[in-house]
Amino acid sequence: MNTLKAVLFLFVFSLSSMLSFAQEEGDKLIGVWEPSHGKAKVKVEKIGSKYYGKIVWLKEPNDPENGQPKVDRNNPDESMRTQPLKGYRILKDFVYAGENEWNEGTIYDPENGNTYSCTIKMKDENTLDIRGFIGVSALGRTDVWKRLQMPKKK
Amino acid sequence: MAFCVAILFSFPLELAAQADSTLVEEDEEDYNMYDDLEFVDGTAKRFANAKIKGLSPAKLISLGYDYQGGHDITAGAYLTATEEKAKLNAVHGTRFDANIPVISKNSLIVQLGARFWDVNYEFDDPASLTHPLLTTLANNNLRTVGLNSTVFKPLNETSFLLFQGSADMNGDFDIPDFQRLKYNRYSIAALWGKRPSDYKQWAIGVSRTYRAGELNYIPVILYNWTSVSNTWGTEILFPARGHLRYTLNPRNMLFVGFELEGNSYKVGNQNSAFVDPFDGKKDDLEIRRGELRFRFIYARQLIGFFWLSAQAGYRVNYSYNIDEVPNGTDFYRGFFGDQPLAMQNTLGNPFYFNVSINLVSP
Repeated sequence: MNTLKAVLFLFVFSLSSMLSFAQEEGDKLIGVWEPSHGKAKVKVEKIGSKYYGKIVWLKEPNDPENGQPKVDRNNPDESMRTQPLKGYRILKDFVYAGENEWNEGTIYDPENGNTYSCTIKMKDENTLDIRGFIGVSALGRTDVWKRLQMPKKK
Repeated sequence: MAFCVAILFSFPLELAAQADSTLVEEDEEDYNMYDDLEFVDGTAKRFANAKIKGLSPAKLISLGYDYQGGHDITAGAYLTATEEKAKLNAVHGTRFDANIPVISKNSLIVQLGARFWDVNYEFDDPASLTHPLLTTLANNNLRTVGLNSTVFKPLNETSFLLFQGSADMNGDFDIPDFQRLKYNRYSIAALWGKRPSDYKQWAIGVSRTYRAGELNYIPVILYNWTSVSNTWGTEILFPARGHLRYTLNPRNMLFVGFELEGNSYKVGNQNSAFVDPFDGKKDDLEIRRGELRFRFIYARQLIGFFWLSAQAGYRVNYSYNIDEVPNGTDFYRGFFGDQPLAMQNTLGNPFYFNVSINLVSP
């Protein structure tokens, strides 16, 4: 019986260690990233067991029509159209799937108000392939994001 | 229509409505600290985007129906046939197009596509027809089966190259009795362009095209523009098409403009309508069809990435003449050549409409 308890304990300990290691591996997505167009910066954070990305900087932060901070005016949900883009989560619900890939998430494009299925692949520790698609991965587009240095708190 | 509905509800979709975890938590983050961040490993290479702001969404898959109203057709004298005029009640058919991005990344976009167009000529009194062209059209649809490819290659942040190529099988063949590949017609275009801002892109180039119905080599101009307010814009690929765009919102757009359509259709002569009294059955004839469509278009999102496009306008005939093209080896006449036509035909100009359901691209 003591042997069985020891084996069970070792099994649970090993399993939790592996899960913990996998999750820590997934944490390398955390950081600040810049899409290829250079017009925004996105900060990826972990909330619970999933990864999210929010806009923290815009090259053109104000709407040229009215001079006010940009809002999500193209959102198909009218109640969301006054939400500021700065701070807006455009990457949602990503789960680390191993082998430098995060999936099951979505990416939102404020330019047109569309949400796409999305996978993230880390090509190297400072480069991501963000692929947004509709239905199947073949019907999509890949954008390359580059890691930025973490900011120093002022 | 039932087929279109089946596609709508069988395709897995995710709709927007960012109602939940989109908003930032209540603590005040100082966003100023993100102003001057450097890349961890040097700089990033930027490439010109294939699109500008406000463009209508690109169609991945399109299934549509095209209908031209009643008009007259006059078939010219040829061999032993005398000129004959007939009334068409309608010219209509299905159009299917697919353009799938096989490579789609910052530095290169390659699309492969296919299309199938079917045109049915509905005569008012087909039993009374005697001219070989008219009996051919009454008994056979004109079809196009084609493959195409588009390559967008950005050179840097503002310049790009654009290549397009297509191979089309046009004729009055039945499916699956396709005509021989030597009757395929090939078109290509090559452009160099600039994208000076998110609101404008232009390009110039040359093309080998059948848009006016027969082989031609012509310059091409691309000009896409969107106003800063994203209300007005242009989508021009001259001389193939040109439209002025009015955007009600990103999911509803209106267009006014034109498109030049054309193909060279091989006459298979399955019914032996065309017979030379000295040489026998003619199998070297091609209909050089070219038409200019002036139109209004309304495009709107239906659900998810499915859009409806409805156009109505006026179709002006440019050419419906026939050439003899021995052994399928086409020739270049251009605007100044003097090679004689085998048959000169005229078509009336009807109103038309076209409706399509489209799966659009991210």
